[in-house]
Amino acid sequence: MLRELTGRAALWVRAVDGVSFDIRRGEVYCLVGESGCGKTTTGKSLVGLVDATDGDVFLEMPDAAYREYESLVGRPKDATALGAIDRLRRKYSFTWKESLRWTPIQYALLAAMVGAGFLGSLSLVALVAAYDSGALLDAGTTVGLSVIMGVLLGGIAAFPPTRPDRRTASVAAVLAAVGFNILPMLASWLASAVQAGAPGFDPYESWAIAWGGNTFGMLIGQVFAPAAAGGVARVVIGVRQSRGGLMGIKMRTLRRRLHLIFQDPYESLNPKQSVLEIVQEPLRVNHISSDPGEITALVRGALEDAGLRPPEEFMFRFPHELSGGQRQRVSIAAALVLRPDFIVADEPVSMLDVSIRTEILQLMLQLREKRDLTYLFITHDLGLAWILADRVAVMYLGKIVEEGTAEQVIAHPKHPYTQALISVVPSPDPRKKVERVILKGERPDPVDIPKGCRFHPRCPVAFEKCGWSSNEIAEELKSLSTAGVLPGIAQMEAQNPWTVALAVVPGTTPEAFIETFRRVVKEHRDSQRALKGIAGVRTRGGYVYVKLHPGSEPRLVELEPGNTVACHLVTSPAEAPHALTA
Amino acid sequence: MKSSIHDSGGASLSLLEVKDLVIEYTTQKGTVHAVDGISFALDEGEALGLAGESGCGKTTTALALMRLLPHNGRIIRGSIRFRGKNLVTLSELSIRRIRWKEISIIFQGAMNSLNPIRRIGDQIAEPILLHEGVEKQVARRRAGDLLEVVGINRNRLRDYPHEFSGGMRQRVMIAMALACNPKIVIADEPVTALDVMIQAQILELLERLKRELDLSMILISHDLSVMAETCDRVAIMYAGRMMEYGQTVDIFTGPKHPYTQGLVGAFPDIRGARTIPESIPGAVPSLINPPSGCVFHPRCKFAFDRCTDHIPSPSAVSGRDVACFLYPEVQEVSPRLVEAKL
Repeated sequence: MLRELTGRAALWVRAVDGVSFDIRRGEVYCLVGESGCGKTTTGKSLVGLVDATDGDVFLEMPDAAYREYESLVGRPKDATALGAIDRLRRKYSFTWKESLRWTPIQYALLAAMVGAGFLGSLSLVALVAAYDSGALLDAGTTVGLSVIMGVLLGGIAAFPPTRPDRRTASVAAVLAAVGFNILPMLASWLASAVQAGAPGFDPYESWAIAWGGNTFGMLIGQVFAPAAAGGVARVVIGVRQSRGGLMGIKMRTLRRRLHLIFQDPYESLNPKQSVLEIVQEPLRVNHISSDPGEITALVRGALEDAGLRPPEEFMFRFPHELSGGQRQRVSIAAALVLRPDFIVADEPVSMLDVSIRTEILQLMLQLREKRDLTYLFITHDLGLAWILADRVAVMYLGKIVEEGTAEQVIAHPKHPYTQALISVVPSPDPRKKVERVILKGERPDPVDIPKGCRFHPRCPVAFEKCGWSSNEIAEELKSLSTAGVLPGIAQMEAQNPWTVALAVVPGTTPEAFIETFRRVVKEHRDSQRALKGIAGVRTRGGYVYVKLHPGSEPRLVELEPGNTVACHLVTSPAEAPHALTA
Repeated sequence: MKSSIHDSGGASLSLLEVKDLVIEYTTQKGTVHAVDGISFALDEGEALGLAGESGCGKTTTALALMRLLPHNGRIIRGSIRFRGKNLVTLSELSIRRIRWKEISIIFQGAMNSLNPIRRIGDQIAEPILLHEGVEKQVARRRAGDLLEVVGINRNRLRDYPHEFSGGMRQRVMIAMALACNPKIVIADEPVTALDVMIQAQILELLERLKRELDLSMILISHDLSVMAETCDRVAIMYAGRMMEYGQTVDIFTGPKHPYTQGLVGAFPDIRGARTIPESIPGAVPSLINPPSGCVFHPRCKFAFDRCTDHIPSPSAVSGRDVACFLYPEVQEVSPRLVEAKL
């Protein structure tokens, strides 16, 4: 089972904002929405091509662990809850990055590590000094001391609780090698300086004193100390990983299991590479095999599965010698060759001709059976989602507005946005006319996301609670005023997010204006939905103040099992439009 | 054998009448038979859809109507009559009086058809200045009016293309096409790269313009479903030939030609059953060396021996033109014409 939670990407734009969904093994999960709604960003973050700024993608998380996670997230954050959340994220999330900020304890540990190295080498020199040249310094003692120092260094280096890394072992080994050469050299020079009073620094001399002139022991010690340091670091990291779960999981190991099919087969294939080269590249990059025979066999299998039969005929062709459908099959073969179990298909058929489209879709579904695949299918075409998807999520401006089974979302849409999207999908049968709901305008700029429900400026059924801002109301009043419907406004200003201040023209009293204002708003509030945001109007000090309803962002609420919708209309049935109160 | 065009029958001429048009491109690899004997007619205020997969000659036909074929393209045979005048034989000078003033085109790919370093207003005003010889101010005012017609505020005249979204740019393209009050607007894939909601907006705009300005329209698209709701008649093209031509409702509800059946059937119906639609096996043939006989026979599941060596001519079958030997009424293209081509 695949669990995803809160994939969020923010560079300058909040492309995806708090999206959560589950994909179960063997499912076709569809992400639907207009361009720029964050579908592709979400898809890419699932295969690690985009780094989410916050949130987790959980992989193969058991239900029990997920329930635990959910209950922990919902709870007030105390130290134990945070610890438990971190434990779960460490175990199942592959986007989880442990905080690299060091605590004072960690700084102390680092200092201890450096200090231990230095003290160790000093003690080595002290031994040399104490037992006069060569009394104890046979090869065995030198090697033994070196190995003990290596073990200590490796253990300490692997201990700081940052994200453990295989590199730590190499770092420890290098530290050991450097330490056993430079530090004793410096230490023995220091010691002799203290004893004999500032002799000249002769590197070779100092080095020979430190190692007692025992060349054989020195050579063996130099090999064994770094080896011990690296080995111990590896063991410590291994133990920590086995106890902490997937801690330190690498995208490289997941790359084989999570794959992507790109949108445009005309641009995603390198024109200078033959089909064989294109399909075998993932094998080489991921070091699966370097045996040409084995690679060819794997490529042949992938091509055959992708429906390019016989594979020999296609292997040595170049992309320009293939038709659009065949190109997309090559793309699919390149994704299949690593035997992934999860594929993100980003608009895989939108560039293809209708007659070829179906073949590719059928191929994808056959492969699901044959290779036990799970798909995240990204499309703007609700018609495709309808015939393919087990579950559908509709996205708008980086948020999921509705999610459920295809039957729930497409046959019985609840969110006004989904309803509008479905109504404009043309039907191949002109007799099946439906009333099209054509939304006004285009999606807002994600840099400046509307307050409240982010869909309300385009929503055909927006009402009081959707979060109208005073700027929107002022805009609407201005258009009414220029149209001559609402005379008497001299000046208008959005005073704060919930109040619009008006000055009336000389010759009209504010009271008379309020009278007309109420009438006009009442008449037009069904066609100009923004007027619904007006809660009341009153006069003070010769000015008229229009007060707005408070709005909030709707949360995803589960209506039926598995069907969640984020809309105020659904979560709290529209209250009867109450009369304007002064 | 003449193809039958029912609606243009009688003495009254259609606004535009294309007859037996043959267009070829000369390339290094050989002659491309891009359009091979197609005929259709367009009446005043009517919308005609040209549908088919990519590479079937839709855009070539559109360019030929404007006489804008690239230098390696040639109209071999046939006539394009606009109000009785044959556009094929007109001189370049006289075609300029018709191009954009009478017939204009919304080019494919709104994203790339506008000049990125010129203001929108200047680009819309350009054809007005060229064709009507009016003052610059007048042309600019007209450009502003046109922007408002397509639903863009006129104070955006001084903006550059990059300041517009894809849908807005498409609207600008439409405004440009309307600049000289043409009779016919050819829309080449007007909604292809756009979002569903923007598609619906643009189609609604085109429908409204057609109604309000009494335009005739030729809508070119690979997406049949776009035509279902906008066109009065549809012509289905395949590999440069006309497969079926008739009223939209007839074609969508009871397609006769196996290719049309395949195309109509390939669309997922969001209001229908959740089944994967059937596909048409194979791919569009090369137009340098098209299959003998009916061009569709290698992909056709009903093909029989007559299909492989005789070319069906579009003939009247239950109220429309169909080019398929499955129907006994269908004649074959006369051997004389076939020979002339060889």
